[in-house]
Amino acid sequence: MLAPAVTLIGVFVLVPMLLTIWLSFQDWSTQTPFSEASFTGLDNFQEIFGPTSVGRDFKTALLNTAIYTALSVILILPLSVAFGLMVYQREVAGGTALRTVLFSTYMVPMIAVALVWSKLYSPSEGPLNQLLGLVGIGPQPWLSSPRSALLSIVFLNVWQQVGYFTVLAIAGLTQIPGSLYEAATLDGANGREQFRFITLPLLRRTLLFSAVIAIINAVQVFEPVALITQGGPVGSTNILTYHIRRVGIERAQGGLGSAMAVMLMLSLIVCVSALFAFVDRKDSE
Amino acid sequence: MSAATRSLSRKRLSGRNALLATAMLLVAVASAFPLAWMVLSSLKTPAETMQVPPVWLPHTPTLEAYGKVAGVINLGRSMWNSLVIATVTTAGILVTSMMAGYAFAKYSFPGRSLLFSLLIATMFLPPIVTLIPLYRMVGSMGLSASLAGIIVPNLANAFGIFLMRQFIAGVPDDLIDAARMDGASELLILFKIVAPSVAPAIAALALFAFVYHWNSYLWPLTVLQGNADAYPIVISLSRLLSYNRGAVNTGLVMAGATLAVLPPLILFVFLQRFFVDSIVGSAIKG
Repeated sequence: MLAPAVTLIGVFVLVPMLLTIWLSFQDWSTQTPFSEASFTGLDNFQEIFGPTSVGRDFKTALLNTAIYTALSVILILPLSVAFGLMVYQREVAGGTALRTVLFSTYMVPMIAVALVWSKLYSPSEGPLNQLLGLVGIGPQPWLSSPRSALLSIVFLNVWQQVGYFTVLAIAGLTQIPGSLYEAATLDGANGREQFRFITLPLLRRTLLFSAVIAIINAVQVFEPVALITQGGPVGSTNILTYHIRRVGIERAQGGLGSAMAVMLMLSLIVCVSALFAFVDRKDSE
Repeated sequence: MSAATRSLSRKRLSGRNALLATAMLLVAVASAFPLAWMVLSSLKTPAETMQVPPVWLPHTPTLEAYGKVAGVINLGRSMWNSLVIATVTTAGILVTSMMAGYAFAKYSFPGRSLLFSLLIATMFLPPIVTLIPLYRMVGSMGLSASLAGIIVPNLANAFGIFLMRQFIAGVPDDLIDAARMDGASELLILFKIVAPSVAPAIAALALFAFVYHWNSYLWPLTVLQGNADAYPIVISLSRLLSYNRGAVNTGLVMAGATLAVLPPLILFVFLQRFFVDSIVGSAIKG
């Protein structure tokens, strides 16, 4: 019963993961067999954090990925709760229809999202600057300026993913007993107080789960960068998934690419552990 | 409460509701707008797509761009490749996930929870972490630049095992024991007795897997090494864009994107209940 799944995941996930760790200590070209690898200790790690162009590019990509991930999570979580409340409430009809519209964007291939948004962002022929003009805001450079390109990709990512997290938030909301709100109303708590002292604390576990998934999803962003910006302008959208693939596959520097992948994995473990520790402390308060 | 205050509070309530309804409408419009723009642009003439300020509604909607897509990429072949990749991968995931999910839910053996945790941990591993060695491994298995190379590494996944275990755990043991008494084999029990009682979860997993692998881009791009015969539609789309750079034709790109979006979106619209129920179910039980 277990053999097929365990064998497949073992061979195609766990073995490659261990190989990535092993290769990060090796000098190895991706075009040669693993047996050609030669041990170099911590050289790869020294190089990717060093002062050369390899180090500069990696550190930029790591920082860009951190900013991109943080912004995605910071935008997605509050929006998912707000939208979840809109779907869950019973005062105004149309909640289920709203859920359908929101969730449908999650089904759209990222490549199509990237293509469509590159047109929406187009400075002259795109509708976004036209709409901004209507409310008196001047044209924005969006993807063409190093100052706004990464944020522009965050926006399209949030647009695509927020529906999924809205459904997660709704799942959390359905778990909160209605009797708590009734009791609070009797005690004279207004809507804002109910949200602050009932909804938010009881959504903590849901939000933790959402945050972890949002982080894992965010570091996987690839298509908009590979297709539209190629990491530019001036490296401002060079993120790790794109950079690791460019170094490890296209330039065939397998050892260096693996060291970068190990750093990504470590960063994720640190982030997720910190999140769990934070929520555990809140819980015990 | 006097009549006056009652009508005042009702007015305040309905004012709040009007605000809420407006907000909901705005969110829905913002969410639907990019896809609407995509479809509208695919129906414009090349001149209309380049106009400044932009044209919202095409004056004379034309399907010309869709015809051109088939001239630039091998549309039938790409759609077929996507269908094969998504269908075969989904079938594999269903079988492996049901078997493993059944074992984790209904068998007890030493190291069960350790093995389960180890498998589930891989759910949180971004694919880029294993991409470089996996690329080499699949190459040395002789599977690179082929559909098999895209499919084989994805025939089992942790999410499927997790989802199946969650739902199969709810199937009564008596049902399984009764079948065992009758001498039914374990595989027969799984597919004839357990599977029908978790059918909605199986449907949800099938839909998730199909959409995920229809949309998947990074791994096919890496493993195919430019073999255009095996390109799924999502990768063929990028060729529309590079074609586009010479002679600007936004309509062409938008028509291609529309075609790629349609199959997962249609599946979702008709079967969204399963998607939502399974997310809610796995989140609550998990």
